[in-house]
Amino acid sequence: MSGTTFTSPFAANSNPFGNDGARSESGGTPSAELLNVIEEDENDTITSPTTPSFGFSNPSNSGFHGPFGGDGTFDPLPPAMRTPPNPDSYPAQYNFGRRTSVSAESLKPVADNNDNWTPPSYPKTQEQLGRLKKAIEGNFLFSHLDDEQNAQILGALQEKPIPAKDIKVITQGDAGDYFYIVEKGSFDVYVNPSGALQAGPEGMGNRVGTIQAGGSFGELALMYNAPRAATVVSADSGCTLWALDRVTFRRILMESTFARRRLYESFLEEVPLLSSLTPYERSKIADALETLKFPAGHTIIQQGDIGQSFFLLESGEADAYIDNKPQSVRHYRKGDFFGELALLNDAPRAASVVSTTEVKVATLGKRAFARLLGPVEGIMRRTKYVGVKSGVEDMDPLHAS
Amino acid sequence: MAATVAKPGPVPDVGQEHDLRPVANMEAGGVSQGNAGQRILPQHQRLKLTDFALVRTLGTGTFARVCLVRPAVGSEEEREKVFALKILRKAEVIKLKQIDHVRDERQILTDVAGYPFITELITTFSDYDSLYMLLDYIPGGELFSYLRRHRRFPEEWAQFYAAEIVLVLEFLHEKQGGVAYRDLKPENLLLDSQGHVKLVDFGFAKRLGSRDDRPVETYTLCGTPEYLAPEVIQNKGHTTAVDWWALGILIYEFLTGYPPFWHQNPIEIYKQIIEKPVIFPAEPPISPSAQHIIRSFCTVDRSRRLGNISGGSQQVKSHPFFQGVDWDALLRKQIRPPIQPNVRFPGDAQCFDIYPEDDGKREPYTEEMASQYDKLFEKF
Repeated sequence: MSGTTFTSPFAANSNPFGNDGARSESGGTPSAELLNVIEEDENDTITSPTTPSFGFSNPSNSGFHGPFGGDGTFDPLPPAMRTPPNPDSYPAQYNFGRRTSVSAESLKPVADNNDNWTPPSYPKTQEQLGRLKKAIEGNFLFSHLDDEQNAQILGALQEKPIPAKDIKVITQGDAGDYFYIVEKGSFDVYVNPSGALQAGPEGMGNRVGTIQAGGSFGELALMYNAPRAATVVSADSGCTLWALDRVTFRRILMESTFARRRLYESFLEEVPLLSSLTPYERSKIADALETLKFPAGHTIIQQGDIGQSFFLLESGEADAYIDNKPQSVRHYRKGDFFGELALLNDAPRAASVVSTTEVKVATLGKRAFARLLGPVEGIMRRTKYVGVKSGVEDMDPLHAS
Repeated sequence: MAATVAKPGPVPDVGQEHDLRPVANMEAGGVSQGNAGQRILPQHQRLKLTDFALVRTLGTGTFARVCLVRPAVGSEEEREKVFALKILRKAEVIKLKQIDHVRDERQILTDVAGYPFITELITTFSDYDSLYMLLDYIPGGELFSYLRRHRRFPEEWAQFYAAEIVLVLEFLHEKQGGVAYRDLKPENLLLDSQGHVKLVDFGFAKRLGSRDDRPVETYTLCGTPEYLAPEVIQNKGHTTAVDWWALGILIYEFLTGYPPFWHQNPIEIYKQIIEKPVIFPAEPPISPSAQHIIRSFCTVDRSRRLGNISGGSQQVKSHPFFQGVDWDALLRKQIRPPIQPNVRFPGDAQCFDIYPEDDGKREPYTEEMASQYDKLFEKF
């Protein structure tokens, strides 16, 4: 019932113990049910489940209540705990204590530091890359990455052979710096209710699960340094892991985001229609630009359509055509832009623009622009456009330069 | 050291609060109300820990402890004064890689000194293994304590506190040239003796600044799990927009008593923040305008997030949730706060919870650390 709907749409990675019996809903008051139903609806609209099962098993399905809530990969909490709090009775499980702030190492983009940094890259076979891609594709820390970021992250994963059984990969209570994906073998997960590994034979606590090839653990370490929520031990000899540390992960994301931002801002500087924007305003627009990728031969804008958004060509090439004539009337390269008059009026597109190669475009709609900076007319009123004799309306509707 | 502090425009009326405000320059014994430019002590008048007598601990954090202190020297009148002293252990600051944050905290607090809804940094000093920030003492305690005690606030109360916070964010974002606070939560809001908000703990505050005349976003993940904005979690580079997101979470918590996204496992919180809409309980009923402002702040798309969109804080102020707020009177602290803290005398600490006192155990600050890092703390 409702419980299943609330499991993360991110599939197995987030909840390796997902297919367990704890799913049977723990009852609750009518209003709690009601909320769950609401959740169910919401859930349907948000995402579709992605990754297939990784073959997790859950031998001791005994309510482990992650005492430190450290590593998200282990989430065998009953689904009721993931629902919004019961509105009538105060949420019983919510910790009403003071909440501790968290912080990662402060990182600055290379461009600010003048030091050289390229992400590490460790060779992998196509099969390995395919498996790794699959292992992270449903994970919320990776799901929003673009292809280049993904490729860099996959490249930076480092192979860690775990030759023997009973080797502790992570230890409950210890500082966490690495995220792991299982390539080969299986690993047992133990939780000591005290919150940390204790001395003695029972010191690891209860076994709460097993992670097999394709599974992963330790993702919270990619965000900041928090105590590990469980101890993970190799269950076979000859296991292999892939490891990624937080600083590498965060730097890869930061450098590429930073570079793309600066690229967008410099592109935007070239658009005459937007020449009067302050750097702050350009940065806001750059923030809101959406990246789209199209294959060669894709019609990006269609002549006669009412324009809703403008486009910056981030990579690849495109051509403009009028009236279906085979002759290109304009050729676009990286850094060129088109369709910007859509920001200004509802006139139909004067030409079609078709990609000649695979292209990446950054795009922004008229409404998003207006929300951020107000109507374009207002922006233009403060510009030299006002005095330009020909006026914007007479400009080539595809290219204002 | 930045000795001059620009006084934020409209000069707030602080008269009513005068008797509780610390004297800016203790050594001189003079009152420097309205003379914000002189509030940082010159180098040769640097204080030391033994100039103060510890009264008790007011709060503890990962690498800092805040204590109520009195001057240990000076005239009887001098020694009646009270301050909050924030003590940071250098070794812990280094270990937790918070050097930049501590330096930013000091600088930003210096820059914003005098704003009516922000705790005031009087001076800083240091000794071999610790850094000290001398702050005015805010006797009303944490808004957190009142919220938990009342379980939740009526909407008028939430409106009052949220409105004072809007003024703070407007000041930081728009009048201070892009300072992001980055750790908004009830734990970081104190009440002064009359019950007005004081924002404290600028440990994550960041001046976004500019490079080549462009504002620069920042990338360091920091904040409190339940209050993190999606772009922080996803490492997309973030701006002052994170504070508006957090204000939405805060208003929700005021009205219901708990944040909209919570779980024992932080990873589950983060998934909810990114994927789930804010859902309101049936009980207590949340008014449509409150629901609307919360959803407008807690909008993943920053080009749609209230506060970050065209109009900035002005648009926030004109939202129906704030209908009836006299913003000018609010800034002058002329609106009577919903809670009047029970403060019996200036150094009364009964509004604060009791914490164990410092046990003296700490990571040693070694010679090597001193030679490597002390230069980074030289402004203290």
